[in-house]
Amino acid sequence: MSEVLDALLPLVGRLCGSIALDAGPDAAQEALIAVMRDLRGLRDPERLVPWARRIAAREAIRHARRARAEPRAEGALAELPAPGDPALASDVRRVLEALAPEQRAILVLRDLEGLGEAEAAAELGIALGTAKSRLHRARAAFRARWSS
Amino acid sequence: MSAWPEASVDAVARLRALAAGLPHVFLAECVLDAPFERVWEIVGDLERGVPRFETSVRSARITAREGERLRLETRHPLGPRARFEVLLRPGLCVMRARFADVGMAAAPEPEGGRTRLAHYEGTRLLGRLAWPLLRRNIAADFAALRRLL
Repeated sequence: MSEVLDALLPLVGRLCGSIALDAGPDAAQEALIAVMRDLRGLRDPERLVPWARRIAAREAIRHARRARAEPRAEGALAELPAPGDPALASDVRRVLEALAPEQRAILVLRDLEGLGEAEAAAELGIALGTAKSRLHRARAAFRARWSS
Repeated sequence: MSAWPEASVDAVARLRALAAGLPHVFLAECVLDAPFERVWEIVGDLERGVPRFETSVRSARITAREGERLRLETRHPLGPRARFEVLLRPGLCVMRARFADVGMAAAPEPEGGRTRLAHYEGTRLLGRLAWPLLRRNIAADFAALRRLL
């Protein structure tokens, strides 16, 4: 049990931190509780990571929605920052704060976690077309804020 | 370190998640009027600290140690022994025996100088039937620990 928890902590922390921001610790805790509670029902161990990722992303969105109103933003194209540069952390956070929780979720799943369009849509429980348009708007909003 | 925000999960939150996966354990929490280091000095000392406040442990002996993994043999005040596989790291102690689970976690409270302590106990033989007894035991553990601090 504790091995499973240790293995999932970085993933859940990343998703909940980037999507739920200030509500990230609460979202991460509830996601981990849901994962551990329902772990026995998971028949295929290969599905553990995608299953936990889906729970964490949805829990993060739920907490982010509850925590604050959703700003909307559109913008122009620019490069996304790469993970691994600590100097960028406060800037990334500032930009993410301007996005809606749903936009943060699709952006994190696609550009941070590296999921494909179909997989990210499935994990968020939305149609592929919705995922595409939401990602387009999220990237545009992110880039506009990033370059402002 | 990533430039993307990461949510921190402290030891108490980890213990709550572990307890969620063990339906037979009873979890309780308290806030102690002492800093984390002082609390963990006692709670994390399995041989000398734990028997001073844990009502179901008269004595404890570490029989093997490899990094944060330990084997611990405890003796109940009424006589029975239990052999636990233990994960021990700062702020977190998770113990598993054949029929019993015990967990303890501590994390500093935001206001400083105080510590949140979470503690679960459970027996796989009795499941939730043992909860009233475990509730009393853990309350007694917390009271004993407060007296030590």
